[in-house]
Amino acid sequence: MLAAVCLLGGLLSASLVRFAPGYGVDERELDPRLSQASVEAIRNSRKLNASLLSYYGHYLTRAVHGDFGSSEWLQRPVASLMKERFPVTLKSVVFGVLFAWVLALSISVFGFFFRESFFDVSGTVLSGLFISLPAAVVAIFAMYLRAPVSVAIAVVTFPKLFRYLRNLLTHACGQPYILAAQARGIGQTRILFCHVLPLASPALFALLGVSLSMAFGAAIPIEALCDSPGVGQLAWQAALNRDLPLIVNLTLLITLITVAANSLANVANEREL
Amino acid sequence: MRGRRKLRGICAAILCVVFAAGLFAGTVTSYSYATQFRERSNAPPSAAHLLGTDGLGRDLFARLLYGTRVSLLLAPAAALLSTLIAGIFGGFAGLAGGCSEKLILAAADLSMALPLLFVLLALRALLPLDISPILSVVATFVLLGLLGWPSSLRVVWASTKSFRNSDFLLLARATGCGRLRMIVRHLFPNLRPILFAQFWISIPVFVLTEATLSMLGLGVMEPLPSWGNLLRGLEDISAVSANPWRLAPLILLILVATCFQLVLPVQEETA
Amino acid sequence: MTPSPLKNLALVILLAFALPARAQTGGELHFCLHGEPKTFNPILVDDEASENIRYLTGGVLIRLNRQTQALEPALATSWTISRDRRTITFHLRKGVHFSDGTPFSAEDVAYTMKLLMDPETHSPTGDAFRSGEGNMQVQTPAADLAVITFPAPIAGLERLFDQVAILSAHSPKKEMAVLGPFYVAEYKAGSYILLQKNPNYWKHDAQGHSLPYIDSVRLDIQRNRDIELLRFRRGELQLINRLDAEQFDRLQHENPAVTRNAGTGLDAEELWFNQSPAAPLPPYKKAWFGTKEFRKAISLAINRADLCRLVFAGYAKPAYGPVSPSNHFWFNASLEEPKYDPQAALRLLAQAGFRLENDTLKDRAGNRVEFTIVTNSGNAPREKMATMIQQDLSQVGIKVNVVTLDFPSLIERMTRTFDYEACILGLVNTDLDPNGQMTVWLSSGEDHQWNPSQKTPVSEWEAEIDKLMREQATAPTEEERKAKFDRVQQIVAEQQPFIYLINKDVLVAVSPSVVGASPVVLNPWAFWNAETLRLGPAPELGVQK
Repeated sequence: MLAAVCLLGGLLSASLVRFAPGYGVDERELDPRLSQASVEAIRNSRKLNASLLSYYGHYLTRAVHGDFGSSEWLQRPVASLMKERFPVTLKSVVFGVLFAWVLALSISVFGFFFRESFFDVSGTVLSGLFISLPAAVVAIFAMYLRAPVSVAIAVVTFPKLFRYLRNLLTHACGQPYILAAQARGIGQTRILFCHVLPLASPALFALLGVSLSMAFGAAIPIEALCDSPGVGQLAWQAALNRDLPLIVNLTLLITLITVAANSLANVANEREL
Repeated sequence: MRGRRKLRGICAAILCVVFAAGLFAGTVTSYSYATQFRERSNAPPSAAHLLGTDGLGRDLFARLLYGTRVSLLLAPAAALLSTLIAGIFGGFAGLAGGCSEKLILAAADLSMALPLLFVLLALRALLPLDISPILSVVATFVLLGLLGWPSSLRVVWASTKSFRNSDFLLLARATGCGRLRMIVRHLFPNLRPILFAQFWISIPVFVLTEATLSMLGLGVMEPLPSWGNLLRGLEDISAVSANPWRLAPLILLILVATCFQLVLPVQEETA
Repeated sequence: MTPSPLKNLALVILLAFALPARAQTGGELHFCLHGEPKTFNPILVDDEASENIRYLTGGVLIRLNRQTQALEPALATSWTISRDRRTITFHLRKGVHFSDGTPFSAEDVAYTMKLLMDPETHSPTGDAFRSGEGNMQVQTPAADLAVITFPAPIAGLERLFDQVAILSAHSPKKEMAVLGPFYVAEYKAGSYILLQKNPNYWKHDAQGHSLPYIDSVRLDIQRNRDIELLRFRRGELQLINRLDAEQFDRLQHENPAVTRNAGTGLDAEELWFNQSPAAPLPPYKKAWFGTKEFRKAISLAINRADLCRLVFAGYAKPAYGPVSPSNHFWFNASLEEPKYDPQAALRLLAQAGFRLENDTLKDRAGNRVEFTIVTNSGNAPREKMATMIQQDLSQVGIKVNVVTLDFPSLIERMTRTFDYEACILGLVNTDLDPNGQMTVWLSSGEDHQWNPSQKTPVSEWEAEIDKLMREQATAPTEEERKAKFDRVQQIVAEQQPFIYLINKDVLVAVSPSVVGASPVVLNPWAFWNAETLRLGPAPELGVQK
């Protein structure tokens, strides 16, 4: 099922690029120095000679053997491009998610200890403010403050994460056995670590998956605007240049991450139910 | 809780005022959003131009109002569309279970992974050139609505699923309640607050997405203003620090998005 | 810590005195490229980033001095061109070595030229040499003599060699062995390129010091111009090669010492109407676009002065035609200055059968005059120009829509489907010599944008341009060539197939720590003399915004 979704995702984006206007066009065609023959040659090199399906099948068989094709725009093997770009994005996303979690967890845990107080309000205000900032504006501020891309990603991921977390904790605190534990005079710390968190752990796990896929989604516009040399920026450039092999590979990667994160969430959810 | 209710009242009032100002932009300001006063370009705020003028001498206050109209009328429409899709498919997936559930969830994953930016880019290139800017904006928002359903879908699906196993539906089923009747009389009333919350939550999301698109050069066409292309003026931060009134669109956006968040009752936020 | 103002002042005074004396050799020059270089192979270069690298790393036989616009000997100490302008003989510099130590000889020239002219290479640089059927011949009678014979005469032949970076025929490092002032030492895709001083570079200054003075050049790949400006302000970058007019204007107010305006550039921005018979447009629209009076009226109705003032903050000039006034030799000085006169435009339109009814312009058959201008998305000045033209033309009753498209879709419409009405773009002039624009002016050319690839010229004036362009290519003297091309400029001004809008100024920013910078209007504007630049101590820029 997972594999099918990924493969379909790749095919869909391939057909999207193939049938979108401007496919097979190269900016070099406008160079007045180039002779007719050279322009023709460039056009032919950008043309897809086979049908899309056979191209995709061909690509998949080669991909299985470790050959991911090469980018038409940068004229370099996709594998080496990925090797350069992916760690950059991975680092930003992982750190971004980490920042967001630390912030959200600490605010909501403090909120748990000192209910109806400063922390809850400040968390709400902060998440309200962050959620109101378009990703692009966050990117510009990050760049202006010389903050790394991961901070921008954290800012974009934080609000939703915080909301989920707070709801989760509020929900858990309303459970009868927690109330019972409180009635028995068990300390708040003990309740949090021995009763609330273990019970919420599948949901937290699911949340981790969701926040990772959210962060990857946010990475594309942020990297494109911040000029961070990661996968997101590459994807944006590849789309602008109608680079079919690169797009197919990138979508496969992004679909894989999304699907994996979501199924992580599903598994955790089902265990909870 | 009373403080919270008061806050909600204030937020609702702010939203109403902003909506009304956008809707009746023509009466609030006498300027058109497109007229260029070329002798007064980049002017600071004054009595004639409340927020000054932009680089081509267009009145920024008028552009902000008309931009509000575009963004605040179309974002709810897109939100309605995406909530409808999410409600129908999410509800169905949660109720039916089995193969169709898996298929719908897979489709949601798939459309989450699609390069949204590229779809929009292709859409603009596919539309005929001579359609009016307003139509192309509408098309953009419709597409946003059509592609924005997956996250809401997961919420609706999860809640439906939990309702399906709940006692009151079991009871209904046991008393021989028909399928349609069960959906209309029992399930829908329970889902309604969730759908409503999703609709409410997605409005600012679409406003913000349009803003991001505009900043990447894919948004609303000139000379029609939207919050997104007004925010493009922020790209050059040093220019903004010299002319702080250029922040007005951002402040309005934050204000409106925050109000949208706060208007929502806490208990309906569950997601 | 806050430094006392007195201490700061002392520092500034100290720096002011120290600067000229302390401008030593060595150091790293740091600036940005605005895109990913697609290739390091000088033969395949087509994009600006690669071209910049080629300029800094490649050794050429003849160098066009970017300041004097004259040719200077480089790897060739002298050259002669045969009377029929088909053969060029180079006398090569002796004792020159590539960056990896491989000696340089005529064999390398022959190797480079063969690779360049190989029809399979599809090199833009090579294609510029292609003037007729047949093969090029290279003879190397001696190690320091290369004789190149082309199948047909080539106009402005020696100038083309400024683009030909010589490759080594023998070096194991292939195209990474270079003869220029720097070599590529490190490349991190998407991030930066590090160029190191080429220890074997042949050039020395008047005192016999080896060039270049600086040790290395660090080129960051940065598409976002605002980030670039931010980093320049912080002192992380030492120059910005071409600024937007708005950014330049602001920087000028903050710190006039760092901004340099090299003058009007060579590139023009232009608007044209689609006159292709294959265009899927209604016949009445094709009739408008094909009418000379209509095009001239549009040109008259556009307020170019306002475009320059508002879109380019005054750092642009109304464009006369295909040749910028700063191209000293080729500009036709007798051309009339473009005028802004909506009343004259209306009179012209009335002559052509258009009439103004209730502020809307209608043609003879009563169709409302309305068209869409397309331009590429993400180019703020072009979007603004289109928006301003929209208002200008509404004064003569014409309704204009503006649509921005991403580049591939735009090119598809321009070259394949011809599904557009009017377009604003700037076609880049890389060459001073108009012969490089051959495919733009020949009616059979692919780049004859308004009506490309015609079998036979559809109009008399296009036929005349064809004839003039062919004649200028073979005319024996430069003066005769100029006379022919002056006439071409005249015809273009009369017919307005391209409505030239503006020529942008070449605007750069140079940190005071860079000694010897003198930006010019020719590419690569700010660092054309990179080999003689020196780095002084980096003074505080004084802009902490």
